[in-house]
Amino acid sequence: MRIKNSSERYGVIAIFLHWIMALLVLTMIPLGLIMVELPNSAQKLKLFGLHKELGVLILALIIVRLSWRIINWVPALPMYMPSWEKLAARAVHLAFYFFLFAMPITGWMMSSAAGLPVSFFGLFVLPDIVPANENLQNFFANVHETFAYILIALICLHVAAAFRHYFKYHDDVLKRMIEP
Amino acid sequence: MKKGLTLFLISCLLCVAQVTYAAKSWKIIPEKSKLTFTAIQNNSPVTGQFKNFTGDIAFDPKDLNGSHVNIVIDMKSVTTSYGTVADTLKTPEWFDVNKYPQALFAADYIVEDAKAGHNAYMASGKLTIRDKTVPIVVHFVLDQYSDKLAHVKGDTEFARTKFNVGTGEWAKTDAIKDNVKVEFDITAMS
Repeated sequence: MRIKNSSERYGVIAIFLHWIMALLVLTMIPLGLIMVELPNSAQKLKLFGLHKELGVLILALIIVRLSWRIINWVPALPMYMPSWEKLAARAVHLAFYFFLFAMPITGWMMSSAAGLPVSFFGLFVLPDIVPANENLQNFFANVHETFAYILIALICLHVAAAFRHYFKYHDDVLKRMIEP
Repeated sequence: MKKGLTLFLISCLLCVAQVTYAAKSWKIIPEKSKLTFTAIQNNSPVTGQFKNFTGDIAFDPKDLNGSHVNIVIDMKSVTTSYGTVADTLKTPEWFDVNKYPQALFAADYIVEDAKAGHNAYMASGKLTIRDKTVPIVVHFVLDQYSDKLAHVKGDTEFARTKFNVGTGEWAKTDAIKDNVKVEFDITAMS
C-alpha cells in the first residue's frame, strides 16, 4: 500500500486526510448554518460547543495536511487539461488551504471576543487570542460568515470539477483520491 | 416629665450599647470594588459581573462577634462581554430580574480561617437568589486594613440549581455546569 504520494498517485495518508476533512467540513457547514438560526436554548448552546470543538479538530488536521503536502509530491494533473483548468484547479486547492485555516481561526477569534472560550471536548481550553469585545466579536462573526459562503462556492466548484474529470474526461483524477 | 426623662436616658444607654456592640462600619467604594462570577459552559469558563451592589458592613478583626455583612446585589446590573449571555441571564429561566431584582447575602458569623493563611477569614451566611435562600460559606482575605480604608478579596462556590438559576431545560447541567464561582474584590472606607 502506498503511504506517501508519488508524482502520479496519492498515498493513503493524503487520501485519508482529504476525506476526513471533507466529512468534517460537510458536517460543519450545515451545523453552522442551522445553529445560528435556532432560538436561544440549551440545544443551541451545545451545537455551538460542538461546532467549536470540531473547528479545533479541523485546525489541527489542516496543519498536519499542509505539512504532509509540503514534504510530499503533489501528483500532476493530466497533460491534456487546458492550462486555464490546471490553473483553476490549483487555485481552488490553494484557496481551500487558506480557508481551512481561516475558518477555524476566525471562529476562535470570535469566541475569544465573545468571552466564550473554546474547549476541546473538555480536554483543554484554547487561550484567548483577541480581547473580549462586542464590536470585535461582530467583526469576526461577519468575516467567518462571509468566508463560509466563499468556501461553499469553492466546494461546489471542486466537486463539479471532480465529476467533470470522471464523466467527461474519463480520467482517474477522481479515482486516484479514492484508490491509493 | 420625669417619666419622659427616664425614657430618654434609657434610649441613650441603648444607643451607647448599640455602638459598643457593633464593630466599625464600612462603606463600599463602588469604583474600587468588583463582584464577578464564573460559570462553565461547554467545558469552558464564562465570566460576568454585577456592576451595582451595596452593602452594610460592620467589621473589625478584633471584634469578629460584632462583625456582620449584608450585601444587596442589583441583578439587573449583570453584564458579560457578549451581551446575549447577560440578556439570557435576565430572563425568567435564569435570574428573572423583573420578579427578583435583588440578590442578598447576609452573614453574621465571621471567624478567622487560620488554615487559609494570615488575615484569612470565613463568613457563614445566607445567600438569597430569586426566592431561594441557601446557607453558604464565603472565604476572604483582608489585604489592607486601616482606620479609614479596608481591602478584601474573596470567593465562594455554590450550585446554581439550588437557587433555581437555570430552570426548565437549563436545569440540566451538561451544557452549563451546576457549580458557579463568585469572586469579589472590595475596597471600603470607614
